[in-house]
Amino acid sequence: MNRYFLYLVLLNMLVNVIIFVPNILIQYRFEGAVMGVLIAIPIGVALNYLLSTTINKFPEQGMPEIIANSKHRWLKIIHFCGIQWIWFTAGLITLVGFIDILDRFINPEMPKMALLVIYLAAIFLIIQLPTDRVMYFLEIVLFLNTPLIAFIIFKAFTNDYLSWDSMLEVGTHIFERPSLKSIAAATYCFSGYTNLIIFNRLIKGRLKIWNFFAVFLLGIFNLFTTFFIPIGFHGSDGAQEFQYPWISTADSLRLAYSPIERVIFLFLMFYMSITLISISVHWHVSFELIKGTFKEKISKKKNLLILIFYAGCSVAGVIFLNTILLNKITVYWMIVRLGFEILLVVIFFIWTRRWTA
Amino acid sequence: MPTNNVQSIKESLIHKLQQPEDLVFKENHTKEKYMEVLYIKSISDEDVLLENVLKPFFEITSSKEFLDFLQSHPKASEYECEQKTIDMVMRGVAILFYQDFVFLFDCKMDRNNAVMDTTVETTIQGPQAGFSESLPVNLGLIRQRYPNVSLKVESTTVGNLSKTKVMILHDTKFVDPDTLKRVKKFLDAIDIDMFQTGEQLFDIIKKSNRALFPLMLVTERPDRVAINLASGKVILLVHGSSYAVILPTVMKDLMSSMEDIYQTYWIAKFLQILRYTAFNISIILPGLYVAVSSYNPELFRVHLAMSIAGSRTGIPYPSFVEVLLMLFMMELLTEASIRLPKAIGPTATTVGGLILGQSAAEAGLVSNIMIVIVSFVAISNFVVPINAFSFTIRVLKYFILLLATIFGLVGVVIGFFMLLAYMVKLDSFGEPFLTIIQSKPSKE
Repeated sequence: MNRYFLYLVLLNMLVNVIIFVPNILIQYRFEGAVMGVLIAIPIGVALNYLLSTTINKFPEQGMPEIIANSKHRWLKIIHFCGIQWIWFTAGLITLVGFIDILDRFINPEMPKMALLVIYLAAIFLIIQLPTDRVMYFLEIVLFLNTPLIAFIIFKAFTNDYLSWDSMLEVGTHIFERPSLKSIAAATYCFSGYTNLIIFNRLIKGRLKIWNFFAVFLLGIFNLFTTFFIPIGFHGSDGAQEFQYPWISTADSLRLAYSPIERVIFLFLMFYMSITLISISVHWHVSFELIKGTFKEKISKKKNLLILIFYAGCSVAGVIFLNTILLNKITVYWMIVRLGFEILLVVIFFIWTRRWTA
Repeated sequence: MPTNNVQSIKESLIHKLQQPEDLVFKENHTKEKYMEVLYIKSISDEDVLLENVLKPFFEITSSKEFLDFLQSHPKASEYECEQKTIDMVMRGVAILFYQDFVFLFDCKMDRNNAVMDTTVETTIQGPQAGFSESLPVNLGLIRQRYPNVSLKVESTTVGNLSKTKVMILHDTKFVDPDTLKRVKKFLDAIDIDMFQTGEQLFDIIKKSNRALFPLMLVTERPDRVAINLASGKVILLVHGSSYAVILPTVMKDLMSSMEDIYQTYWIAKFLQILRYTAFNISIILPGLYVAVSSYNPELFRVHLAMSIAGSRTGIPYPSFVEVLLMLFMMELLTEASIRLPKAIGPTATTVGGLILGQSAAEAGLVSNIMIVIVSFVAISNFVVPINAFSFTIRVLKYFILLLATIFGLVGVVIGFFMLLAYMVKLDSFGEPFLTIIQSKPSKE
């Protein structure tokens, strides 16, 4: 199913707003973010292509099934336990970040723990579903939300107060030396493909070339929207004043004839579900990787232990990480993630070539 | 197959049947021959017996010819074993003892074979007749609508005491063999004493016996059965019930009315969108009211927020109490109007709907907007065409309401998606419940 691949990529493109990508890009807008974005696009598409075509050689198999009968069991365990952290932390940062947003914009009087409880309840319900059901759920969520996001983007682009001059001003800084941080942040938009290492279980047949073309176009459009629309609304200097540029941008929009006048509520309600499914997809991958380290079927007790561990980490995250700290950590996490991602793709690529040769 | 021990069989049968009041054991003589008849008169059709056995008995003089007549009669079958014979007698079969032979003569009385009008799944146009309560008549109704050799009919019995006859119908050309296997396995595994109608399966289908969603469709319309046969579903007909069970059932089936195919394309699409909207409104609206009025009044534009708040100024308690009170009243009203005799029914609706609603608002117990919302929810609920599913929705809204009361707007959205995730998790005999938007796993 080719469209499943696109869903995964699209999901990451949508959720980058929560995980500080626009924030990081805008912070470096005069110091190489534009060039960084331009460099990120080929890197992202290339990684997409490399991993997808490699894993395509194992139709309907996830990473655990592919390496299931490997002789080096300890190597496998170390490998899985190592790489599952990327997905787990991706979900964790999204979760903690979004709880912070909800606390700030929707329910300022409610303890963060209460918000966390309901989120964890929903996430744990979803991540324990079989992989195909998680994908169906993702499809339904995107199906329900796509009209809404298309509408918001349409409203943003046609708004009278969108200043194209500010965007052009930032655009003139294209030849600055690109910063690693902005490249790392921009590649996050493309990294939905990494979920394939579990979700490849559902992909039958070869991925057609137009998929990567679609990823390329979507990526350009997405990065442009993510990066430039807040600048267009708040000015090239004003944009960096906001911790969450896109949410403030949504708050600048107004629907004159709708019962819900402020777009920020539409936007946040839309992101409640997108964030939910994004965390669920990431943690589902992480969960399945941990399951893959065990030889036999996982027992209820172990299952519960993993979930308790997840819950414990998120509680600690919500307690100890405030917005600024989380933002700083995310910047470095992005770089580490990019490194790991390249490493994962390259090692897998070489391993497959030797294995099939 | 002549049996020598006719006498012992006869005695044993009469002994085992324990001589009930309505047991008839009659001897018939003519000059040449002698026959004994045994049946239970309250469940056997004596006219059939008279017409097909007794009249010929006196008309045919030769004893050999009468034996030939009995052996070739389509309703007569020969004795096999005692237990089966007793079962058959209890279902209205007459036993004939003639010479060295024992015959089972089918003269079951078929009561309740009148075809009834549809009362639950009504349509404006299209066929109006439903099923009867007789199994052979129902099978006949389906065969009339579905005259194909590929229609396969099998039968089994369900129920330890009731031993109800259940027929499994499917079209061998379209049915998915895996589904059929699952259905048969499910029917074999049922452990229940009294099985009287297909609706009882609703709860049995879940291993834990705690089902919230109906995973099968119970219908009273032969045309719906015929159309589902053609789309590869399995049909169960239960003896004594005027409803057929359709398996597997997904949400798409629960949201469809037969009228959809009796309308033009766009009208049918419009009606379907209407139903799905009503489904969502009915689930979300009470929770959303609590979330908006108590947590995030700034969600709506100022005028609307003001009018909601203004309508609530006199109300002495928080919004969730108000919603619960009003919903509770509505549930009582719905329940009462089902139970009441038809003659008093309209009175209950008038008293409940008009007087109580009006005065509750005037007394300052609930706000006017609340009454609008509750009626909205109730009406939306009744738009859902399949009754069993509309009962499910009645319960679902309390889940969202609870989450909205505790978590506000976040609770509404996440609660809705938790319900979605639960529905994604469900499947009916291997078919995902939400097949309308998600693809079938095996067929692509």
